[in-house]
Amino acid sequence: MYVYDQFDHALVRERNAEFSDQVARRLSGELSEDQFKPLRLMNGLYLQLHAYMLRIAIPYGVLSSVQMRRFAHIARTYDRDFGHFTTRQNLQFNWIKLADTPKILEELAEVEMHAMQTSGNCIRNTTTDQFAGAAKDELDDPRPWAELIRQWSTIHPEFTFLPRKFKIAITGATKDRAAIRVHDIGLHLTPKGFDVYVGGGMGRTPHLGHLIKSGVPGEKLLSYLEACLRVYNRYGRRDNIYKARIKILVSALGPDEYARQVEEEWAQLDQAAIDAPYYEIDRIRTFFPDPAYADKAFDAAALDRAKAADPGFARWVRNNTHPHKRDDHVSVTISTKPVGLPPGDASSAQMDVMADVADSFAYSELRVAHDQNIILPHVAKADLYDLYQQLDRVNLSTANAKKITDIIACPGLDYCSLANARSIPLSQEISKKFSDANLTDEIGELEIKISGCINACGHHHVGHIGILGVDKQGIEVYQIMLGGRADEKAALGVITGKGLSAEAVPGALERVVRLYLQLRTSPAERFIDVVERLGRETFAEALHEPA
Amino acid sequence: MWLSVWAVKLLQRRFMSQLNSSATPTLIAKDGTRILDGWALLNDEDVVGADGPYVLGFERALNELPGLNGKYGVRINPGDDIRALSPYMEKIALVEVNFPGYRDGRGYSTARILRSDLNYQGEIRAVGDVLRDQLFLMLRCGFNEFLLKDADPEGAIKAATDRFENAYQSATDARQPIWALRKQLAGA
Repeated sequence: MYVYDQFDHALVRERNAEFSDQVARRLSGELSEDQFKPLRLMNGLYLQLHAYMLRIAIPYGVLSSVQMRRFAHIARTYDRDFGHFTTRQNLQFNWIKLADTPKILEELAEVEMHAMQTSGNCIRNTTTDQFAGAAKDELDDPRPWAELIRQWSTIHPEFTFLPRKFKIAITGATKDRAAIRVHDIGLHLTPKGFDVYVGGGMGRTPHLGHLIKSGVPGEKLLSYLEACLRVYNRYGRRDNIYKARIKILVSALGPDEYARQVEEEWAQLDQAAIDAPYYEIDRIRTFFPDPAYADKAFDAAALDRAKAADPGFARWVRNNTHPHKRDDHVSVTISTKPVGLPPGDASSAQMDVMADVADSFAYSELRVAHDQNIILPHVAKADLYDLYQQLDRVNLSTANAKKITDIIACPGLDYCSLANARSIPLSQEISKKFSDANLTDEIGELEIKISGCINACGHHHVGHIGILGVDKQGIEVYQIMLGGRADEKAALGVITGKGLSAEAVPGALERVVRLYLQLRTSPAERFIDVVERLGRETFAEALHEPA
Repeated sequence: MWLSVWAVKLLQRRFMSQLNSSATPTLIAKDGTRILDGWALLNDEDVVGADGPYVLGFERALNELPGLNGKYGVRINPGDDIRALSPYMEKIALVEVNFPGYRDGRGYSTARILRSDLNYQGEIRAVGDVLRDQLFLMLRCGFNEFLLKDADPEGAIKAATDRFENAYQSATDARQPIWALRKQLAGA
């Protein structure tokens, strides 16, 4: 993974000094909370319902065992012994004291981490495929490009006060695991350069991104992005926070007109000054080599014996491993979603174990996936059973990757000051409803995503089943959306049936799922495929209690 | 004649600014020296004298600069397209970029377009909600004068100048992007 040089270190040190100074000015009363707010937001520090929350950037979701261990230490020392992995491949600590933040940032800087631009109306952490550099279906590795964008966007002098936050995602594989069409800018790395999608997003007014240019050469990527951002910075709406994302601008202008303006701006930019030349891109590439793969003799028969002896292991291998470009390796998903616990949370003890197993079995590298799980990108098949047993001891062996209990949920009313409804308790109730492993496996791939308000932090628009909590005269009501997906066939879910009470949702989902099992032509036909084939209205009736 | 307009404007400006800021704004240059404001922002009804230190509103500049000779100031609000004034760059000696609120970042693009695309060499002054925490970004975008709300304006300029030695991107200041410095280091 990328290793800081003297320049990267100095910049983070300088930024931390600046922020420490701002915190000191706030603590001394020189800055009011109003004046401090935009400054702390530039460094990922939110004031939530109960305490400060610090969001730490995990660039494109890639982290080392050393960094994971440091998270554990911070959770133990400064928080309530746990942290929360987010859908944007970051980590949040929810119970932070303001006075501790400079010290925490110092501890992070020691392991080449920071909290810059994890909030505020600036370019946020660029996200990518959690299996980057490992997946069998990858054409090119998106990580060096994500690192290039990270550097270019860090403290960008022109784009720090955009109309609204700005999120970029990149994929380099056939299957889109980075949800590029629901990002402000989605980049698809192809052999001919980058396909650039602009204007996707979720929130109150979801849009799928439009392809505005194909084949942008890598060595011109930054100047093209700069042109995209400049048009948005100048013409994006600033009169209404809910209409300020780039999707509204692109939709108002029309994608063709937006693309034309970008082209015009691009032509006027000093591209040679902006674009990092190929030697820099090559320099960054050198940090993302294949690991020194261990040539461990893989005994397929031994693996089969272990699976036969331990059905839990067999199930975990079936559900939580992903094909690797090398046949003797796999990528492993560590689920942060055991039945009945909040999605994305991990205790310091669990973080330590994840760091340890990364050292023992995964070349010391981990990833945070956008579904909030942790990935070990390279694991020798020969090590799978040892790995599984170590994870199992700390409740990290839940075998539900991409299954109905692998739910994305926002923090909801329990933590968030914006929420109208609870999401985590509902996700817990749903996962209890489907706690039968055989049933879950029979259902196969099914993504449920829950948001506690229309801001859509739980990505309900792109859940195969999306659930949106709203407040109707003081009562929490949940709307059900069907047919959403964020992959290479991206689509937005549509509200189906009437809103339900929290108590009614798990039963309704069970009826929908039973109907799906009757309707599918084979186990290979997933829920989302059946919705596509038969239409979501097929399931409308099943959502409601039979009269 | 223009002197009295200037004095009234100056007083108005000082008074207006004080209403919503803790410190009296100070006009200061990027090298940390205080500047006496010689410019006067004209209202629509004010007459433009020949070649005086007048600051014209954007619309007025568009309408009148074609017929004027000499050097003028123009005031740019966030929604104004600076490129519309590109034919008159040689008549402009000061661009006042107004930040009605610090959250509105359109002025940063205005300054960069002036410096990079329009090759403008005159003064670019940030006015309005200008606070010390924005100075580093403004310096990088090509601003060189600031009507700054800060109790210690010299200290604020110094902090902004010294805070970051290098930057990842090229902008309009003298800093070379870090990728260029890396190349030099590797070649040395």
